[in-house]
Amino acid sequence: MVYTRKSPALLIAGIILLVHGFLIAGGYMGGVQKYFGIARAAGEMTTLSYIFGAIAVVVGLWHWLGSHKQGHFDYYSSSVAGAIFILLVAMVVKWYLAPWVAVMSRAMGPVAGTAAKPSYLHDVLGLNYVVLGIVAGMLTVNVFKIPDWAQNGVRLSRLGLKTGVILLGTLYSLAELAKLGQLSVIMIGCFVLGSVWLVLLIGAHRKISNSMGGVLAAGVGVCGVSAAVAAAPVVKARSDEIAYTIGTILVFGVICMFLFPVVGHALGMNYVQFGAWAGTGILNSAQVAGAALAFQPTGNLETLKVGEIFNITRVLFLPIIVLWLAVWYVRRETAAGGTVAQIDTTRVIWEKFPVFVLGFILMFALASTGAFTSKMIPYFREWLTWLFAFGLTGLGMQITLAAMRQAGGEPLVIGSVVGVLKAVLSLIVVLLLVRGTV
Amino acid sequence: MIDKKSQNIDLQTTESGFKYHRGSALSIFKTDRYEDFVALACALVIALVVYILIK
Repeated sequence: MVYTRKSPALLIAGIILLVHGFLIAGGYMGGVQKYFGIARAAGEMTTLSYIFGAIAVVVGLWHWLGSHKQGHFDYYSSSVAGAIFILLVAMVVKWYLAPWVAVMSRAMGPVAGTAAKPSYLHDVLGLNYVVLGIVAGMLTVNVFKIPDWAQNGVRLSRLGLKTGVILLGTLYSLAELAKLGQLSVIMIGCFVLGSVWLVLLIGAHRKISNSMGGVLAAGVGVCGVSAAVAAAPVVKARSDEIAYTIGTILVFGVICMFLFPVVGHALGMNYVQFGAWAGTGILNSAQVAGAALAFQPTGNLETLKVGEIFNITRVLFLPIIVLWLAVWYVRRETAAGGTVAQIDTTRVIWEKFPVFVLGFILMFALASTGAFTSKMIPYFREWLTWLFAFGLTGLGMQITLAAMRQAGGEPLVIGSVVGVLKAVLSLIVVLLLVRGTV
Repeated sequence: MIDKKSQNIDLQTTESGFKYHRGSALSIFKTDRYEDFVALACALVIALVVYILIK
């Protein structure tokens, strides 16, 4: 199959970006920038528009006029179009839509807070570039449909998120990591093991199949879709059982991603409390980053840092949980009179270990040597902001109504009960036990 | 239609018929591990670029 579409769309997108960069650099859009309050972003807007505009024009010409043959080059080069498509949506949202929503919201007057520190509607609802990017992605895929020429590359969004998590390692100090690490191991240990156990218990009580119970336990207990996919082979889950689990996680995750920041602001949580809560209570890894950035979209990204430490700790539990489920499944099936092949536990741990977490640790180790000066940190933050904006907008493009409609029946009931319990209990624990900042 | 007894985990496949011959609905890469290594390479390149340009 040839993946590259002979379409001028990418070339046109590139020309639009170059013209945009030129207009900003030449000061022709000063009035617009002033209205939106984005004059400070002029440098970023020019640089990014020129760089990605040039890439899009060159690759777009190749896509449109070149001859394409099936193979690795065709497969990977065709994904550039989707990546530029996501980036274009993310740019429109970050530079124009989110500032416009903020302008409109301020014009409506404060809805909460004090005279000294008023809160506007967009603050209360967390309508910033992260939330709006995800919503724009969801609208794109569900209302307008992803264009054919961009389909392949839209699947690059998770790569953006993983790269962002690895790069996040540059922002931590040893003291921060030690303090947050202790807290996260205790909290995540209790909640991950507890929720996996609870799903298996309720699943056995409600008489769902062992494979369904196993894959749902991994998804609800550890880190969402990735965990469900990782656990599926060891519990011999069928595709419809995996689809049920993914549907449940998506429905629950999307609700949490929008609801958590609103609750966090309403309860006046600080960044450690909110990061700890999001990293524990939200089922899917990508949506932890989404909620953390929605809670604190700019500045030093402390909420994202705390949330991701909790998320990474949770991901580190994945091999243990997969191993637990493998042993559990063999015992249950054998007890029921079935025959199950023995499982090579060392191989399971090796295969399921998430390497990108090692990348995060490697980046942290590099930062700890003093290789990155304080002058470089704001640039890393800028990269992070864009990697997550790219990844989360692309994530929105993968949340289809069809996927969410797959949720239903017993998995939805069990997943929702355990998910709500996990979110509420972790909120109570965080409010009671987590104090101060790091 | 996809065989529901199979362990094919491509979500897109179950929704709208066979779509991608490679990777899955969530990633263009064959495995998560491969994607992890590519993400690590991307992060290292970005770190190197920042290091060289800002140093």
